[in-house]
Amino acid sequence: MSLEITQGTPVEISEERALTDSRRQMVLNMGPQHPSTHGVMRVVLTLEGETIVDCDPVLGYLHRGVEKLGETHRYSQFVPWTDRTDYVAAPSNNLGYILAVEKLCGIEAPERATYWRMVMGELARLASHLVWLGTHALDIGALSMSLYCFRERELILDIFETFCGARLTTNMMEMGGFSRPIPEQLPGMVRDFCNVFPKMQAEYETLLSSNPIWLSRTRGVGVIEPEAAISYSLTGACLRGSGINYDVRKATPYLYYDRMEFEVPLGTRGDVYDRYLVRMEEMRQSISIIEQCMDQMPTDGPLALTESPYVIPEHDNVMKTAEDMQRHFIWVIKGFSPPKGEVYQAIEHSKGELGYYLVSDGTPIPYRVRLRTPDFVNLQSLPYMAQGAALADVVALIGTIDIVLGSVDR
Amino acid sequence: MAEEEHTGGPADSPGRRIWDTGYWGPTVPEEHPAIQAVREKFPEAYVDAVNFRDEMTLRVELPALREVVGFLRDDPSLRYNLLSDLTAVDMLRLRDNPRFDVVVQLYSIPRRQRLRVKAGFNDGDPVPSMVPLYQGANWLEREAYDMFGIVFEGHPDLRRMLLPDDWDEGHPLRKDYPLRGYREYVQPGFENPAPRVRSRFRRP
Repeated sequence: MSLEITQGTPVEISEERALTDSRRQMVLNMGPQHPSTHGVMRVVLTLEGETIVDCDPVLGYLHRGVEKLGETHRYSQFVPWTDRTDYVAAPSNNLGYILAVEKLCGIEAPERATYWRMVMGELARLASHLVWLGTHALDIGALSMSLYCFRERELILDIFETFCGARLTTNMMEMGGFSRPIPEQLPGMVRDFCNVFPKMQAEYETLLSSNPIWLSRTRGVGVIEPEAAISYSLTGACLRGSGINYDVRKATPYLYYDRMEFEVPLGTRGDVYDRYLVRMEEMRQSISIIEQCMDQMPTDGPLALTESPYVIPEHDNVMKTAEDMQRHFIWVIKGFSPPKGEVYQAIEHSKGELGYYLVSDGTPIPYRVRLRTPDFVNLQSLPYMAQGAALADVVALIGTIDIVLGSVDR
Repeated sequence: MAEEEHTGGPADSPGRRIWDTGYWGPTVPEEHPAIQAVREKFPEAYVDAVNFRDEMTLRVELPALREVVGFLRDDPSLRYNLLSDLTAVDMLRLRDNPRFDVVVQLYSIPRRQRLRVKAGFNDGDPVPSMVPLYQGANWLEREAYDMFGIVFEGHPDLRRMLLPDDWDEGHPLRKDYPLRGYREYVQPGFENPAPRVRSRFRRP
């Protein structure tokens, strides 16, 4: 059968020709400014029709050389840089770095400060999960979710603002505790948030958990087998969604997580929907942890170590006593020198295991700062998940890994 | 500055430190099961084991690195099945030879224990790749290649990870790489930039 076209050569239309056309591969650039890549990431997709044959994420559009910068700043000067890696959960990044430096120096913050660190870390996890839920649902098509999630995130950011004055890049944690007093209204704000949030979360679940569109876009999509999840070094909800029980807070507790009662939710099928359920349950457990912290927390007591050369003196004393003013001067101008050695401190970030590997050569500047960011490692599983999936699922797969490009590219 | 330890632990448990949770195994190398197993299995590859802040670091010879890590992963009594991190350290200012260290952070999910394995090597030595053991080493090794110029032998796809593919100005995390790079970058619209003060990190 042939078709005559008035101009040009006649085109042969046959079944064979149609089949070869559909088998022909097409390379599609997704990004770097695609809205569903959550920043600037490029994914080079090789397509056969609408099926993905190969997927190659291209990173580095937000690379700022954070590790190199860490090797040229003093220990305390690097804390603001950790905010700018994963900027939706900045207190968690501060926490991991500060714990690594404290371990290197061999100091430990007082009990009250440690409880406040846990509260802020869990609030950061909630804020990060809310951004994830809003944007993930937005990518798949549930537009209204982002409005609700960002509404509740405002409450958390208000708490951060009351605590430290900043909302996004908090620079909140300090070596050896907190040098400024806790604002009076803060415990009430945290309690109020814990009371109001479970109702809000129930709202989200009425919108999503049994929504047929949500189910059809997430169930059976992006399945990761448990063996593959371990082999790909996945951590966080990506690993637990496949049924592997590894939560740094439970497995190798830091801070006072060994005093808390909480459960680690696990998935069974390892698909996008299971990871969604795992993160939703994590939010409930976080609220429970915050409430336990607020109950167990001593109401007064020291907030920071005194007399330690590694710790900045309390803010109020700097202007009152000569010794503290001198120590403050030395701490800011010269910094402090931890002993020679190396430490690796892992914490459970909202996205997985966040590890800081520090090498000290005994000078005030770290010799090597290594950030093991969870989403960089987790993103490796994207080609594994995307192979054989449909093109439209790529946005669901990127969303389910929960990436922040500042943290991936560093 | 004073190097003695300042512990400010909670009053109810004196001496307990937050980081002293025992998840790096015994603090004495002679009692550590993984260190002992590696010493028995690979007597010629074992170099030493160092403990700092309860963290155990096992140093092995470079050619045996993959065998040692594979043994640590597969041995039924050790089972370090999760590769937490793989990175490198340029030891240029700390020692003469060998120049680099490759650092592998392992974690055992069933045993809840960490271990750090290191191996030293010089510029240009091929490092055995961990990709046959852990798929997750792929991007971590690409990043180490990108930042340090380390060639991983047996890596399926060794390309630059974070820097552009056509980046021809070396590997920035090396200690002899200047902080601001080798070139003067001229911003568009500022063809005659004010001279920048460069005190340290001048190009050698």
